Amino acid sequence: MKKSLRTLCRLLLLFALFSAMPSASGETLPLSGGVLRWRDVGDPPKLDPAGPGDTSSGRGIYLMFETLVENAPDGERLLPRLAESWEGSEGGRVWTFHLRKGVRFHSTIRGRPSANGGREALAADWKYSFERLVRTKSPRAYFVDMIQGYKDFAEEKASEWTGIKVVDEHTIRFELDYAFAPFVSILAYNAFVVVPREDAERPGADFSFNPVGTGPFILEKWEHDQRLVYTRNPDFWMRDAHGSSLPYLDGVEIVIIPDDTIAYEEFKKGNIDVLPELPDEFYADAKQRFGDLLQGRPMLGVYYVGFNCAKPPFKDNRTLRKALNYAVNKQAMSDYLLEGRYAPSRGVLPPGVPGYSPDLEGYEYSPETARKMLAEAGIREGFQIELVVNNNLRHRTVAEGLQGLLAEFGIDLRVSVVDWGVHLDLVDRGETQMYRMSWIADYADPDNFLYVLFYSENRGVKGNYSYYSNDRVDELLVAARVETDFDKRMALYREAERIIVDDAPWMFLFYYTTSLLGGERVKDMRLPLFGQHATPLEAVWIAR
Amino acid sequence: MLSYTLRKLLYFIPVVWGVVTAVFILLTVVPGDPARLLMGQRGDPETLARIRADLGLDLPLHRQYIRFIGDLARGDLGTSYRNNEKVSTAIAERFGATLRLAFWAMILASVIGVAAGILSAVKQYSLFDYSAMFIAVAGVSAPVFWVGLLLLLIFAYGLRLLPGVGYGDGSWRYLILPVITLGTRPAALIARLTRSCMLDVMNQDYIRTARSKGLAERTVILKHAFKNALVPVNTIIGTQVAELLSGAVLTETIFAWPGVGRLAVEALVARDFPMIRGTVIFMALLFLATNLLVDLSYGLVDPRIRYD
Repeated sequence: MKKSLRTLCRLLLLFALFSAMPSASGETLPLSGGVLRWRDVGDPPKLDPAGPGDTSSGRGIYLMFETLVENAPDGERLLPRLAESWEGSEGGRVWTFHLRKGVRFHSTIRGRPSANGGREALAADWKYSFERLVRTKSPRAYFVDMIQGYKDFAEEKASEWTGIKVVDEHTIRFELDYAFAPFVSILAYNAFVVVPREDAERPGADFSFNPVGTGPFILEKWEHDQRLVYTRNPDFWMRDAHGSSLPYLDGVEIVIIPDDTIAYEEFKKGNIDVLPELPDEFYADAKQRFGDLLQGRPMLGVYYVGFNCAKPPFKDNRTLRKALNYAVNKQAMSDYLLEGRYAPSRGVLPPGVPGYSPDLEGYEYSPETARKMLAEAGIREGFQIELVVNNNLRHRTVAEGLQGLLAEFGIDLRVSVVDWGVHLDLVDRGETQMYRMSWIADYADPDNFLYVLFYSENRGVKGNYSYYSNDRVDELLVAARVETDFDKRMALYREAERIIVDDAPWMFLFYYTTSLLGGERVKDMRLPLFGQHATPLEAVWIAR
Repeated sequence: MLSYTLRKLLYFIPVVWGVVTAVFILLTVVPGDPARLLMGQRGDPETLARIRADLGLDLPLHRQYIRFIGDLARGDLGTSYRNNEKVSTAIAERFGATLRLAFWAMILASVIGVAAGILSAVKQYSLFDYSAMFIAVAGVSAPVFWVGLLLLLIFAYGLRLLPGVGYGDGSWRYLILPVITLGTRPAALIARLTRSCMLDVMNQDYIRTARSKGLAERTVILKHAFKNALVPVNTIIGTQVAELLSGAVLTETIFAWPGVGRLAVEALVARDFPMIRGTVIFMALLFLATNLLVDLSYGLVDPRIRYD
């Protein structure tokens, strides 16, 4: 008995040693098993990829669904995901995708068999999934409105989306109305995933609460306002470099903790493994306490204050807009108000987006220039302007900082704090003088910044909240959309951005950053360019 | 008593109709378009129009109102704009957690509040009286979020005696700190009111008579004094129960407790009109039902009270 116990102990010890041992090449081999506990602030509104695209839902969607292509971690190129390869023809008007074989839908959902029975995802499923986005009135469907037949299908004049063709079981083709250069980049957005018709249309089971995809994790349990439990998909197609099946984790638990202070304490206590988007107030402490475990990086986003170019005092007053840009010390704001977490921006495109111009001058803090230009614009002491911000501690802090900085120039900046719904209404209708806003890219292409935010026909709800209009910029942006030569396209975007920065429809403030605090036992977790919610977890493992 | 109850139940109809109509009007006046929020930061006007039509927001206001009242008359509270969940299902799912929290908070508040109030009155101007009333004032004044955070920092994260946040599969250990947090304010209110009612009653002639008859002090206090002081105490307990049941938003937020209060606040932020209306109607009904029960309990406490 004693001997067998000793043998068992030896075996266990050997197993423990080998499982965490470096491989012949010197790298530590990942361990399978364990559940990763990830904090979120609230219940995700919808786990249906046809939903609005918020980050809470996005976290779940990235766990369960997959796109044809995906962004490389650096964002500079696209990688194959469920499409093994793709090619464009007819001058970029037709795109054909060759699907990966053997990719299966989840065979279970919330502990019971799924309606699809774990069958293979085929080209017909992709056509169905794209059509479903339009049928369910997804707010993201119009991203691909350049696919032939979109309008007729959306207006229910056609029974199918004619521009999407099933060539064979493993080949799907998209025919566009015009050559649209960023088309393939858009397909990396997490709305454009494959879903099985049987489950999406299963009677009595709303797809938002019973989502079925092909991704590495399966939704097992959803206790509203408490937690979502995802388990490992045993049929997941991906393998690591050694041929071991992925994901390594047995599951992911999204733990809902609305209060930031409590969430930080729960992390310190070890009750959660990952704390995404650490609030500014805990940043210094976390950095000192946890060092490299706190990951942070610039992401594809910009933080700015927009000037309403269609309304006084900013209408036809470029000098005033430029003066205000020179009057703000962005580095000091970042250092003193935001824990130094944000890099001052010089333009619209953040680092990581193709076409980013590192040599763009932007507006360096220059009180003398600001004073001179304010005088030129006829601005006198006590000049009043209003800035509208949505209610959030960080935004209020930035607004108060601007208030203080502009007061140095005799400008009385009035700050109105409203909630997000009201804020959107006001900026859509162009009813503000100045407004706070940020923009986080849907896809890694300059088109998603410059065309969306500055094209004159996008004024209002489509994204151009500054009501900015410049014929030359319009011309460049339209030309860039259809230019298939990459270098020529980037040159067009660079020129457009230079003109926009010179016109100063925004007060260019910061490039957005994203952060993630992971526990010591969490390994190989890397923050992607699109933000913490898109962090891939299939290759993450837990050390024991 | 039966006719009184029926009459009261009939009063419910105009009150609920008033609440429902007021909420409907308020939501149409408040800026912020729910369809716009559903669409995300940007979108195209065509999709926005389709979403609005889908939600019925493109209809004239009077038609939206008639449709809403019609659904309500059939017992249908509607479907959430945000996630398509049935409003009644969402409330039913969360009410259990709220009820559990409110029930135990009220038991705690009533036991501590009544006991402290009686003892303070009996031992007026004693050290106990001063201490109890000081704590009661502090309990009424201390903000709930502060009490909750303090308890968590001491007992969950400092001493590590209790779990932190969450529902914990219904384990009672997870209930202790939120119950204390939620029960502190009502306990303080009940203690202060019980003390003042008891002092009032203790000065009455019939108490003097009871004492002169040679009754034991315990009998005088509990049977003669406390029973007569109970009517106003009963009222405050009833009001507090209704308040706690309708959602202890802050406590639920701090302790990540999956209750109705959080559901209502999240619905407000998202301009989820059906969910806001549903939770408000539910809360109004809870208030009315609790008030009715309190009214009916007066007769049990004091047989002189009639329901004619």
